[in-house]
Amino acid sequence: MLRLVSRRARAQWPLLAALLGVVTIGATLLGTCTLLVTRTAERALEIAMADAAPAAVDVTVYTGTVEGPDARSVAADTRAVVTSALAPFPATTTARASTVLRALPPALAPGTTVPAQAYLSGLDDLPARAELITGRWPRHPGDAVLLESTAQLLGLTPGRQVRLGAELAHAPVPAVDVTVVGVVRPLPGRGWDRDPLAAAGSAIGYRDGRFMQPVNAYGPFLVDLADLVSTGATVDRMEVTAHPDLSNPNRRDLETVAGAIRSADRRLAGTLGDRVQLARVSSDLSSTVRAADDQQHVTAAVVLAIAVLGGVLAATALVLAGRLTADLRADETALRSALGTSRRQLAATATLEAGLVAAVAAALATPASSVVHAGLTHLPPLDRAGLTVGPGVTGAQVLAVVGGALALAAVLTVLAVRPVAATGDRRTRRELLTRSGADLMLAVFAAAGWWQLYAQPTAASPRADAVRVLAPALLLTAGAALALRVVLPALRGADRLAYRARGLALPLALSEAARRPQAVAAGLLVGLACAAGTFGVAFDSTWHQSQRDQGALSVGTDLALTLSTAPVPGDGAVVSAATAGAVSPVLHRGTAVGQWLGTAGDPARLVAVDTTRADALLRGRLDGDRGWAELGATLAPPTRVTGLAVAANAPLVLSGTAAGDTPLAVTPRLLLQDATGLRTSCTGPALPLDGRELRLPSCATAAGLRLVAVALPVVADPAGGTVAVAVTLTVPSAGSTETPADGSDWTATSAPPVPNKVTNPSITLSATPAGTALRMAATVELDGAPDAARTLVATAFPDPGPVPVAVSARFASEVGAHPGSTLSVTVGITPVPVIVTEVVPTVPSAPGAVAVLADLDMLSRARAVTGDLTFPVDAWWVGHPAGPGAVERATALHLGTVATRESETARLIGGPLRAGVPGALRLIVPAAALLLLAGVVLHVTCDLQVRAVEVARLRGLGMSRRGIRAVLLGQHAGVLLPLLAAGAAVGALATGVVAPLLVRTDTGAAPIPAAQPHWPWPAEAALLAVLLAGCLLAVAVVVTVQVRRADAAHLRVAP
Amino acid sequence: MSAEPLLRVRDVHRSFRTGPTVVHALRGVSFDVAAGAMVALVGRSGSGKTTLLNVIGGLDRPDAGTVHVNGTDVAALDEDGLSRLRRETVSYVFQSFGLIPVLSAAENVAAPLRLARVAPAERERRVGLLLELVGLADHARQRPAELSGGQQQRVAIARALAASPRLLLADEPTGQLDAETGLSVMALLRGIVESEGVTVLVSTHDAVMMALADRVIRIHDGHLDEQAAGQPYEPVPDAR
Repeated sequence: MLRLVSRRARAQWPLLAALLGVVTIGATLLGTCTLLVTRTAERALEIAMADAAPAAVDVTVYTGTVEGPDARSVAADTRAVVTSALAPFPATTTARASTVLRALPPALAPGTTVPAQAYLSGLDDLPARAELITGRWPRHPGDAVLLESTAQLLGLTPGRQVRLGAELAHAPVPAVDVTVVGVVRPLPGRGWDRDPLAAAGSAIGYRDGRFMQPVNAYGPFLVDLADLVSTGATVDRMEVTAHPDLSNPNRRDLETVAGAIRSADRRLAGTLGDRVQLARVSSDLSSTVRAADDQQHVTAAVVLAIAVLGGVLAATALVLAGRLTADLRADETALRSALGTSRRQLAATATLEAGLVAAVAAALATPASSVVHAGLTHLPPLDRAGLTVGPGVTGAQVLAVVGGALALAAVLTVLAVRPVAATGDRRTRRELLTRSGADLMLAVFAAAGWWQLYAQPTAASPRADAVRVLAPALLLTAGAALALRVVLPALRGADRLAYRARGLALPLALSEAARRPQAVAAGLLVGLACAAGTFGVAFDSTWHQSQRDQGALSVGTDLALTLSTAPVPGDGAVVSAATAGAVSPVLHRGTAVGQWLGTAGDPARLVAVDTTRADALLRGRLDGDRGWAELGATLAPPTRVTGLAVAANAPLVLSGTAAGDTPLAVTPRLLLQDATGLRTSCTGPALPLDGRELRLPSCATAAGLRLVAVALPVVADPAGGTVAVAVTLTVPSAGSTETPADGSDWTATSAPPVPNKVTNPSITLSATPAGTALRMAATVELDGAPDAARTLVATAFPDPGPVPVAVSARFASEVGAHPGSTLSVTVGITPVPVIVTEVVPTVPSAPGAVAVLADLDMLSRARAVTGDLTFPVDAWWVGHPAGPGAVERATALHLGTVATRESETARLIGGPLRAGVPGALRLIVPAAALLLLAGVVLHVTCDLQVRAVEVARLRGLGMSRRGIRAVLLGQHAGVLLPLLAAGAAVGALATGVVAPLLVRTDTGAAPIPAAQPHWPWPAEAALLAVLLAGCLLAVAVVVTVQVRRADAAHLRVAP
Repeated sequence: MSAEPLLRVRDVHRSFRTGPTVVHALRGVSFDVAAGAMVALVGRSGSGKTTLLNVIGGLDRPDAGTVHVNGTDVAALDEDGLSRLRRETVSYVFQSFGLIPVLSAAENVAAPLRLARVAPAERERRVGLLLELVGLADHARQRPAELSGGQQQRVAIARALAASPRLLLADEPTGQLDAETGLSVMALLRGIVESEGVTVLVSTHDAVMMALADRVIRIHDGHLDEQAAGQPYEPVPDAR
């Protein structure tokens, strides 16, 4: 038997080489995909965890209220617990602690009866968090440094000694003496938000949770942490943060650590006992590992789908090759049967041959898949993600290769032992029925698969399910099979038309193509491979476009700088200079809609931005043909606010009078706007309305500010009656030539909630030698509580009325809003009336959320007329930042975290845990092209071998070799062209109905915005051109060789 | 019959190399065939009959010697000239019929006419006449697989006559037919010689065919051994 197989292999080596090639390609594809979901996935996890942001992997232990004697041991034990939880990963720890408030010597804060208190803080890495202005860092016990603002307020300089006395609302403890050795300035973004006073340095009227009365708090006095825990002072809060070194993680260790962290609270409580009142472990590490796991599952689902598609393609090619082989060997098989060879012996021979093919294919495919995988990891998506590896062999890969090769070899065996159908030029009724049944079943399965994909929940599981893995292959195969049904009638129609021609070549070519079933034997493979290739290219494009859409919508703009501290005047100019783009301050926070606080702890999001520049600032896909400029125009204010220009550091002078003897005072609040639209409020001290002048502190701390609103809450002792008040604010000229009114529509009004407490509000502007004077007057009713609202408001704009807003589709659905609906959203503590003018699919930077988009200026105006002059800002948005260095320059400002549309898109596309998707998609296209070309060459070769006598007889009829070549080329082109067109159509159809459903987010949920099919015409045209050229070239070569060989020798052989 | 023979074969040699072995298929074959004659070429399998027919029809080239068909030196023709010769002067009838499977009987017959770019109307008329001639007018739309062996051979003969050739080469045209069908095919060929004036050179083992021929040429190991027409035929030992 082995001899027969060996001799036959020598005689039919080209055929066997083709079979071997197909099996090898299929097994290589499987091996490569296996490496993508195993080796690359493991590496991706390592890189993802190693590159994870500290916040995503750090473990922080918060402890509260530690008695002085226990502080040192609590700190040490906390470090030990958290470090052990992170084992086997090494971890570094940092700690910070703050004491409870302690009494300051009254001499340091004179002029008030409110007690002055201060606190100590100890930080492990203080020099990394603050900049030393003067003096030195603490070196010895008792050394302390102060924040610049604290030092100024308390008048402390290096060298001064301070005694911190009794603790506020706590048992008596010894005083703590410290020596001020330096003054520091906190660095932004270095965790000062965790300071009890958020590094403000002081807080007037501060309410400590332990003491009901307000105190004036100062601090921190920054000392060495080891020093702090040895002072005996009661520690109010202590944080120990451990940062694990995950530079070389593996899944098992990560899961171990995640489990240890989940149980760390219990162990911590057991270790610390009653030495602390509160102990809590906080870490995102577990959820980070889980998120990485989910993301890997999503990626694996796509890679597996590609592997299945490749496997189906290889099996289809192999079925074709097997059938052609069986047809060519039909005579030999018949002879062997006639000589007495049993069916079992025939099967044994076929199994032996297929087994040898599988063995050789596996031996070739194992290194080939390693090389292809290594090559793939050198391509941009994987290379950029740091996933580049050299060729290597894994057990899973070998298993997949051998399994795939054996499965494909089994297909060969089955085809070899099945009864060979008669090679007639028409199919039998049974064949037609069988094929129709198979096509119908495919179509039913494909339709069911599509429906399952279509109906899958929006928040589907990330795990790869059979539908998501099998659906693409099923749909493409069914599509290709049905397309073949369309191609054949089309060919027959062309055949009928061709017979009107006078010559022989064209009608004969089309007759051969249309009337011989064997002519389209490779039809399913050609159609499927073309469909798979075009689908692969389009899915790749659809996936990338979806990631870009998600990235754009997620960030909402080109560059977002999310602030870690409140902005100050001039920040906008700094951001603008750094990024050279269109800059706008942005409000981005949760809000309440009327009494509705959102669902499941997910409040409605309010996004407010300068909508007059919506086109430059907003990103994300809108529905239909609408653009952000068009939408922004519906939200933008009708006119810009100009206000009054205020010179930098100019002394604003305020004076006021009140009729009668009742002592009245106002606490003036001013709202100033810079060139970027940032508004900052400035509050002055109480101004008695007795004619005295008050110079306001430096409200205009930057150049280019303009006064746009003034609020004057009137404070009165309990009294009755009404009093006419008048307040004049003199704004020194900024040196410009503009008129006092400056085009602004200054309006005076009485702020709610009891506007009738202030009546007859008026404002007049006049030019004086000292500048522009704003004279605000009103009649104030003094009845009622002394702190009742009696606020006179002057604004450089009229009351805007309800603010026009666009709401997300989810907002409209959950709130029941529609264009024209009037609602109230709360900003801070101020309800703002809004009117819905548009419903958009989703709001930039709030993908899929219940969200409201408004103009920031309009929102500010609506709040200002109610007397709320605060202007909450959470971020700077920059449209069209210039140059690649904009991100670095913006980051260097240390104002907050920077995110860009490009970086988010790059993360989504090229993140290590996702890079397998584009990698696999780039694998399927060349694999499909290779299998298609292999199938075409095999088919054409076998077809021409079978028809060699027929070709020779055409010569006998007087047809020239050139004519015969034309017939054969025309015949094959006539089959291939419509098949390629049909395959492309199937690929396009599958792209339209399936590709968007296959795109999922990291968590397995549907992407927001929803993915849309993307058909990249240039790439598709190039692919089709390559396939067509390759097919025609292969056919031309084979036909030329065959025609040259078609000589008289063939005429001796009877068919 | 004109004085100038339609076919003149002179000292034709043709040998084939199969590995180290050289097979001499034709060794100095010479003979003439007058126009309008039906000549039977007989010999055992492997005696060189098919090679001789192929050399005459320009499907094969002699190693030495000349073949003149209707005054044209076949060996001197290039590929295009040979194609033209087969389209216009010489036609074939093969033992295995040689019909194009995907074409109907009428389309097969029309193939040479299409090669000659005959106008469609004239083509249809001629196809009808030829199918009438071979008695298959009712089977015009049937494909070869739907016809019997004899019917297929009749279609092949009709196709061979379609372009009005001067010389018809038939390579064992009855080799795959039963005796009765073979006889009818031979009668058809004889009739065509009579009615159309076509010269026929037919290789055969069939004694009846030889009896119908004007002349019998016997070939043995590449040499000719001519037998007078009408003389009793000695059956070839390995003849089927």
